[in-house]
Amino acid sequence: MTRIRRGYIARRRRTKMRLFVSSFRGAHSRLSRTITQQKIRALVSAHRDRDRKKRDFRRLWITRINAVIRGNLVSYSYSRLIYNLYKAQLVLNRKILAQIAISNRNCLYMISNEIIK
Amino acid sequence: MQKALAGLRRINLEGLRWRVFDAKGQVLGRLASQVATVVQGKDKPTYAPNRDDGDMCIVLNAKDICVTGRKLKNKVYYWHTGYIGHLKERTLKEQMERDPTEAIRKAVLRMLPRNKLRDDRDRKLRIFPGSEHPFGDRPLEPYVMPPRRVRELRPRVRRAMIREQKKAEMQQSNKDMRKNRKKEVEAEVTA
Repeated sequence: MTRIRRGYIARRRRTKMRLFVSSFRGAHSRLSRTITQQKIRALVSAHRDRDRKKRDFRRLWITRINAVIRGNLVSYSYSRLIYNLYKAQLVLNRKILAQIAISNRNCLYMISNEIIK
Repeated sequence: MQKALAGLRRINLEGLRWRVFDAKGQVLGRLASQVATVVQGKDKPTYAPNRDDGDMCIVLNAKDICVTGRKLKNKVYYWHTGYIGHLKERTLKEQMERDPTEAIRKAVLRMLPRNKLRDDRDRKLRIFPGSEHPFGDRPLEPYVMPPRRVRELRPRVRRAMIREQKKAEMQQSNKDMRKNRKKEVEAEVTA
């Protein structure tokens, strides 16, 4: 059997990986073996965090809505607000409520007062 | 007082409000809970968990803080110095004698989440035992505690309170009797 060298196959594969990790810090963007490992870790994190992102943002919106609702000094809370929203069959989701809370606080107060009745 | 102004340069003070809490007659834990929410910035709609956006909190009258039950004698602060066998303890009463601000500071610090922002939040807390503070020239805002449903006293505690009230009244009336007698005696002597 004649001797066969691998040639440029491995190098082509590794340049593609290098392009992916081009902005990583230190050895993570320079050394081939660590590059393969870090690329796998990055993709795993991205996959896991795509589901986490939905959870995290919902948490953030809830905290923000809670903050604004409690500032009204009538012993009102986020839980009561959501209960009243469901009773009044309003389909506003937390994302929109949080945006309203940031931009236009009085509007949120008006909505909550309307719903309490 | 000097220490109260320390570290102000490290905090980015733009757009932060200065909230003043009056601890007179407040229950320790309930006040600390509100202070912790304000210091974290959780009462603002622009809250973000990765950056510290809380307001500066000033707590006044720390020596007039109240606790319920027998906590003045029974609440013990424990800490371990790292050396073996050196578990130290100190009761609330002793702590209030030594440094009443530390009780509130410990309470608030232990209510903050243990992350990298905890030290910065600690720097935003300023506690004073009396009602004087060197921040008179800043735009201060008093904090109004949210309304709270105080449950009515348990029967045993209520009976004890009534007994103490009656005792106080008896002592008052005794003093009045003695004062009247003294006045009568003086009046007789002069007459």
